[in-house]
Amino acid sequence: MKSLFQVGVVLTVCLAGELISGVLPITIPTSVVSMILLFVLLLVKWIKPRHIEQFGDFLLKNMAFFFIPAGVAIIEQFDLLKECLFPFLLICFVTTIITFAATAYTVKAVMAVQKKAREGRRDE
Amino acid sequence: MSEFFASPFFGVVLCICAYAAGLWINRKTGSPIANPLLIAIAIVIVVLLTFHIPLESFNQGGDLIAFFLVPATASLALSIYRQVWLLKRNFLPIIIGSAVGSLVSMGSVYGLCRLFHLDEVMLYSLLPKSVTTPIAMDVSAGLGGEPSITVAAVVVTGIVGAMLAPSLIKLFRVGNSIAAGVAIGTCSHALGTAKALEIGEVEGAMSGIAIGISGILTVLFAMALM
Repeated sequence: MKSLFQVGVVLTVCLAGELISGVLPITIPTSVVSMILLFVLLLVKWIKPRHIEQFGDFLLKNMAFFFIPAGVAIIEQFDLLKECLFPFLLICFVTTIITFAATAYTVKAVMAVQKKAREGRRDE
Repeated sequence: MSEFFASPFFGVVLCICAYAAGLWINRKTGSPIANPLLIAIAIVIVVLLTFHIPLESFNQGGDLIAFFLVPATASLALSIYRQVWLLKRNFLPIIIGSAVGSLVSMGSVYGLCRLFHLDEVMLYSLLPKSVTTPIAMDVSAGLGGEPSITVAAVVVTGIVGAMLAPSLIKLFRVGNSIAAGVAIGTCSHALGTAKALEIGEVEGAMSGIAIGISGILTVLFAMALM
């Protein structure tokens, strides 16, 4: 009963997320709306971690598994991709690495600036 | 026999076996290229092609698994909540990092597409490839791309991110769990986040936050292009 309750809570949040996503003026998918909604509900403590922990951790620990069908669907695009397979793969590879580096360095740079600002204030 | 393959149990069992094999090979080799998801996808595709099983039959079970993508993404809220003090303390670095990363992602795709003389359809299909599938598909369709190519690009990007994440953290000497997590989520959405969760709790939570932020920002940037 306890685990069924947990599944119920998470799926109810997803259902609400679907409703909200439908009425939003810009397209934000159900999954992202549900994530934000669940986060807000946890913050205001309407939902406590113990209400969803077992089911939530099950989903988090096996996250990659749920992507298998989406990946398999690539076979539908084989013909389309055959013509430009090399640039397609190269673009996916190179831009992912560039994006990773740009993001990581930006986060670190902003942190460094904040740290300096805090220290500067302390010196005054 | 075709009835057997069209049973929803077939798709689900095939995926579980393929993923178990992927995990086993990953443990045996310990190599990042032996990504369990990549191996599982390859095994399923080989099985489908060998036995001439149509994708629709496989999807009887596949759709049941894909159903859990939304609750799984929503569950990221739980891992973010567990690290909420880190989010509060590093709000600006996380937001600015994600924003810069999303812009760099779209900019680098644009530059490379021009370099390879790819057409507009390909460019618009690849532009949103670093964000989570549903957002990427909507952005692609809105710009005039081909959503099916976008899905393929999103998955390939996610696998590349998941595969390379541990090496990239070392290569670029990130040495900071927050920066690493935000970078993984911004460049390779939920698929990279699955890997980030394995690297550490902080990395996983930050990566989850980055999915949401980079996703929403990409929608806004794309609206500026339309």
